[in-house]
Amino acid sequence: MSNIQAAKDRRVASSRSALPAWWLVLIRELTDLWVGGKALVLIFIYTVFLSVVTYVIASNSELSLIPPKEMVYETIKNVMAVSLFIGLIIGADALSGERERNTLESLLLTPSSRRQIVVGKFLAAITFWPAAFIIAIPSFRLLSQGDEVFGQGLFWGGILGTVMVLAYVGLGMLVSFWSNSNKTSYFVSLGIYILFLVPAQLPGTAQTGVMGQFLQWVNPIAAVNHFLSKILVNNIKFSEFWVWLEAPVVFCILILGTLFMYAAPGLRLEEGRGSKLWKRFSRAMGLGLMLAAFMVLSSAFPARAFQGETESPIQIAIDMEYKTVKASDSIFFDTVVTNNGTDTSPTLFVAMNIINLEKAGEPIDPEDWSPQRTQSIDPLAPGKSATLSWRVNAILEGDVMIYMVAIPQPEGQNVTSHPVASQGIHLTVTPFTKLNPSGVLPIAIGIPVTLLVVIYFVNRRRNQNIDMGGSS
Amino acid sequence: MIKRKDFNASSSQPEVLLAENLRKSYGPRHALQGLSFSLKAGRVLGFLGPNGAGKTTSIRILTTMMEPESGHFVVDGISSDRPEEIRRRIGVLPENLGFPRQMTGIEYLTYFGQLYGRRKAEAQEYGWALLEDVGLHQRGKSLIGSYSHGMRQRIGIARALLNDPVVVFLDEPTLGLDPRGQKELLELIQRIARESGTGIVLCSHMLSEIESICDDVVILNLGQVVAKGTVAEVVGRVQNNVILRNAIRVQVPPSFVPNAKQVLKGIPNIKKVTPIGEMEGWLRLELVEPVNGDVSKAYQNNNNILSDLIRAKIPILSFEIEGGRLHDVFLHLTEEAIQ
Repeated sequence: MSNIQAAKDRRVASSRSALPAWWLVLIRELTDLWVGGKALVLIFIYTVFLSVVTYVIASNSELSLIPPKEMVYETIKNVMAVSLFIGLIIGADALSGERERNTLESLLLTPSSRRQIVVGKFLAAITFWPAAFIIAIPSFRLLSQGDEVFGQGLFWGGILGTVMVLAYVGLGMLVSFWSNSNKTSYFVSLGIYILFLVPAQLPGTAQTGVMGQFLQWVNPIAAVNHFLSKILVNNIKFSEFWVWLEAPVVFCILILGTLFMYAAPGLRLEEGRGSKLWKRFSRAMGLGLMLAAFMVLSSAFPARAFQGETESPIQIAIDMEYKTVKASDSIFFDTVVTNNGTDTSPTLFVAMNIINLEKAGEPIDPEDWSPQRTQSIDPLAPGKSATLSWRVNAILEGDVMIYMVAIPQPEGQNVTSHPVASQGIHLTVTPFTKLNPSGVLPIAIGIPVTLLVVIYFVNRRRNQNIDMGGSS
Repeated sequence: MIKRKDFNASSSQPEVLLAENLRKSYGPRHALQGLSFSLKAGRVLGFLGPNGAGKTTSIRILTTMMEPESGHFVVDGISSDRPEEIRRRIGVLPENLGFPRQMTGIEYLTYFGQLYGRRKAEAQEYGWALLEDVGLHQRGKSLIGSYSHGMRQRIGIARALLNDPVVVFLDEPTLGLDPRGQKELLELIQRIARESGTGIVLCSHMLSEIESICDDVVILNLGQVVAKGTVAEVVGRVQNNVILRNAIRVQVPPSFVPNAKQVLKGIPNIKKVTPIGEMEGWLRLELVEPVNGDVSKAYQNNNNILSDLIRAKIPILSFEIEGGRLHDVFLHLTEEAIQ
């Protein structure tokens, strides 16, 4: 038998016992990602982020500012936001990274089908999500404080997180499919990530109008967040809000369909399926998205019109001038509103304002500091006064100024009124000294440290199997 | 070590690669204009051409990484419209092959062996055998990131042989290697062809190495084949034209150079005697052009020069007609095509 014939026989015989290519690629990619690869580094950064978020939220919990349901929702939202970013980064490197390192050609030269190669890489890329979610469970448990939201959060967070991670990893790989270099791939992916985050940065009214609601419904991230907040925080039933899951599910199906049915079979050495148009389009799109994001973020802070002052018969006094308290302490004070005019006043609204004296008068949202942001007073007869009681929870350390504004209700549709400000209370808030709110420290520190130990042993075990000699 | 029988690389062996009229354009530029050639089992074919001649495009098409606009090719009886089957039968060492730095040599070969359909244990065993073949057995458990350039080329060749290919494409395999590394790699390539009957397509700019190990040669220029056949055929076909340029290269011991120059200047048919660059002991003799392009007269002149040197008792280490080497033929053909 000739050597060629023998080689042919070996080839045919060996191909019968083959493991599927997608499985081999998956195992290889898992090793690359998790043994000294980028997944371990990204997941470590994620655990540090999660620890910080958990600690901050637990601290807020000590101040009785956020109920457990909201804390769990906020944590799930943050976990998902970071996980989607990690998914996009891993997906964006999957193909363009191989092109850049000149390692794709050897893979394409094997008889494996292109689709199986893409499937293997995709499955490896999504493996960080179960790890990220499992790592977050102790935080959910701690922050839920025994509330039933823990179980609901695990269920809905797990399902929706999985749907979104599948979509985002697929999206990253699609971008990578059409990119020759990681620079292009990361740039476009980051642009897309920002695009989906932008609606959440729109001014409040823009989010609640018909158009704002539609934008949130269409945007898969916003829709998932909205759905989670309604289910976890507001206890609304799934049957009333399932429509908000349409966009994420359709988005996921579209992305995965495009990746596996259209792109994967055409995987080749150069980017995409041969069109140079995509390259120019994607760069223009990335730039456009960055610009749009910048403009929308800028528009969230419109300039306020200046209005001149006129005399007012209403006066407002406050019974405190200066106080030093610790963060988390509560302060109680009264305001007295007097009508010095000759006519009965209209209904009066008294609003609380707080500014940060250490940050050039930066405003602080009173909603976070006080259960009473505004109170109203019935019309006051001439010479009469009304007293209102207020409570403020000192949250942030530093020097702040609290002042009240009395606003007479305008007498008609086309007229305005003249608000009057009180003297301020200068409040010095000293630091909150409790280092371990809700017993969060063991989790906040323990998880990253545990992960570091795992990384150390994984690398050590790996190095034991390697001859560390240099080149010769 | 993988046991192979000696293979008779005669022209009676079956064709393992047949390319017919392959064409490819990039916009208005014709990268390939009707490439046709064949390769028989156990033979090494040198694929030559200046930069931009269409070599890389040809290799990409023949290794199924790119589709031709027209034409087709057959590998081991498998038509180019079945690319996955062709990939099962070819091995490739691309010019700029990247390697995963975090894999060891044996892990790399085992992984690709499995992708070619072997069981893990079998792929590992075969990987070790190939590592021994390419002289990397001692470094199989080292990370590829720690390999030198030469070692990477060797493991690249081992990877190309994982599937017992019928045809192997090697694109600039000796690029960046030191002379010893080049020699060892060329010997390895020749051994693979001779012992396993694999047809080898060798792309290189190093014409001396092509000449030393190739049986056949295809010279491309501006996307067209300007010469093909055995090395002897191609050189012989062009030789007469090149010889009419009338130059001879002679190598004598360095201490005899002054004496040799004196003798040679006294011969009436020699116009000019000049040392060749930094090649110690080498002299280039420019001859008077033969009347009416008479080649037999030129041959006679060469014999006379040789006998005069012998008579003067000057040791002759080398005596060669300029134009009788593949290098000269390549320059002649590519220049001619450009003109």
